Amino acid sequence: VAKLCVCDLLVAQCDINCCCDPDCSAEDFSLFTTCSVPVVTGDSQLCHQKAAVYSLDVEANPPERIFKIIDQVNPSIFCIHATNYKQAMYLKSPEIPTSENFDQLLAKFGGATFSAEPDSWNLDTDAQNPPDVNETYRYEYGVPVQTEDAFLRLPSPVVSSWCSDVNPAGFLVNQATKCIRSVNVEKCDSIQALSMLFYINSSILAVPKSSQMVNITVQSIVVQSQNGMRTLLSDVLRLPMVLDGLCINAVLGVNYHITHTDTGEIIEAAAAFVLGAISKEALSIEQSFEISFTQENTQPVPLSGNPGYVVGLPVRAGFRPQGYPFPAAFLFAALALCSNKHSQLTILQSTSTQDCLAAQGARAPVLFGYNMISGCKLRITAAMKCQPLAQTLLDVLKGQSFPEYVASFGDSQAQDVLDWVPITQLHISEQMISNTLQSSCQIPVSLGIEVKWTKYGSLVNPQAKIVNVTATIITTTLKQLPSGRERIIPITSSVVFTDISSPAEPGYKAWPTINIKLPFDFFYPFV
Amino acid sequence: LSSLPLQILLYVNGIYYIFYFLATLAMIIYKSQVFSYPDDLLAPDLAVLFLMAILEVPRLYLGFKGNLTEAEAPLGLSLGLTVGSVLLCVYLLLWQTYVLWADVLLNAVLLSAYGLESGLKVTAIAAFVS
Repeated sequence: VAKLCVCDLLVAQCDINCCCDPDCSAEDFSLFTTCSVPVVTGDSQLCHQKAAVYSLDVEANPPERIFKIIDQVNPSIFCIHATNYKQAMYLKSPEIPTSENFDQLLAKFGGATFSAEPDSWNLDTDAQNPPDVNETYRYEYGVPVQTEDAFLRLPSPVVSSWCSDVNPAGFLVNQATKCIRSVNVEKCDSIQALSMLFYINSSILAVPKSSQMVNITVQSIVVQSQNGMRTLLSDVLRLPMVLDGLCINAVLGVNYHITHTDTGEIIEAAAAFVLGAISKEALSIEQSFEISFTQENTQPVPLSGNPGYVVGLPVRAGFRPQGYPFPAAFLFAALALCSNKHSQLTILQSTSTQDCLAAQGARAPVLFGYNMISGCKLRITAAMKCQPLAQTLLDVLKGQSFPEYVASFGDSQAQDVLDWVPITQLHISEQMISNTLQSSCQIPVSLGIEVKWTKYGSLVNPQAKIVNVTATIITTTLKQLPSGRERIIPITSSVVFTDISSPAEPGYKAWPTINIKLPFDFFYPFV
Repeated sequence: LSSLPLQILLYVNGIYYIFYFLATLAMIIYKSQVFSYPDDLLAPDLAVLFLMAILEVPRLYLGFKGNLTEAEAPLGLSLGLTVGSVLLCVYLLLWQTYVLWADVLLNAVLLSAYGLESGLKVTAIAAFVS
């Protein structure tokens, strides 16, 4: 104990205020103020042990260090009197690597984390533990889709924008990627990644580690010409070849559609190709890949959350068709068919031309949680008539089919009428002054959609629920222009998401009640 | 004539042994939680304790019976069993994995009781034989 010193950190130098440091001389001790380590003992649980006590005598001039070894007694009746187990008092010494245990130690401690590697990445597990005949494997979410030689590849950019072919597609993970591939047009028929065969030649295993194969069928082939026009062709296999200095039938995009059962088996796989021609000067082309999973016998309706909306997913909306009284009947097919991409809640998308009348049709879906503002400029000439202009602007702002109802949860079913929130429409006129005649023409200049949402559910996992949607159209009077003059007015549309959730109330479980009842004959002799 | 001190001592020993057994078991449990007590060292200690408990019952019964009926055979058998109990007690006093101060006290009291008992049994046997 006299030789132990916890504060002796510097070798061959005196540590400040370390009274047990052997490198310190008497002059150093006289400069100390306190002792950082006053007592050094062994395990304090022992009944008797030696302790080294260091203290500074500040009364003396110069101050000197006092070092005593005393017997420390643990007064507890449970102090350790003796122990026959030597290792109890010492720290465990680590295993020294030798040539026998080196491999095992390396496997255990050699990686970035001290845990075994997941089996799904190791294709040799069959050799180590032969699969049980009765055990069935199923695909689970995120597990790479296996093919007969490796994995189903979905080339995607890794680190940089260049295509990497070793990215596996995960089961039930819908992905869309774009990446750049470098090409040499003279040798384009030998570049594997440009030919259709590369993407469909290996068949997919229906379940992992089985021998059931699912061939990838060619669903459709679309040929894209140089100026972007696409033509649908028959699905005959077309291989790339060099023709007139162009490389034709090169794969520009692949879209995989995988159908699966609800138990995790893949039953069908189809690929839709976009082929194109690459000119001689091109050194690289951009390829786009997409994969989507559908369960058999269902219509794919993309959910925007389960149940609460997920930030970034589109807000689902739909119509109530005529003739259905609210809330009496169910609306199944009607709302379901209508809540597809074409009647989503959309907002005007700003284009580079910024001209409202030229940009009709470009709309962006409203994504939950993302406030958006967009706009365009409208050039008004004297010759324009007000009423048709107002109608056109309304179409530009609202789109072709502005929905009437918005789903309050990301997974609201069409049948549940109460899960859909009606869109409240407000019209506000910019000039509310009384001298403006009501009959003068008003044109809409701004559409503001305010979506009020609240947090619903438990405190640790709140779900977003849309409570109220208000679409406000602000109109202004169109003043007649003198002929020949023109005016440019800005048209804006915006979407704002406001969180109106009330603060959470903690809910506690009820106190357990103690139900004690004495048996009725408890006081037997006396009753 | 039956030895009264031996009888008293046997009776007190029975009561003390129950307390001793429970206390030692509780302390072994405490030690296994607080200290590092690997299973291959815990097993022998528990085995010794339970073996001692199993030996104690016939030992005390034979002692009572021999003393009250003034027969030397049961008393002699009880003396033999006492030797075994003494050995186990010495193990728990000296060679346990962790010997706490409370362990030392309990075992010392038990050992002294055994010693005194053995002496009284020998005198009783001598008295009965003659």
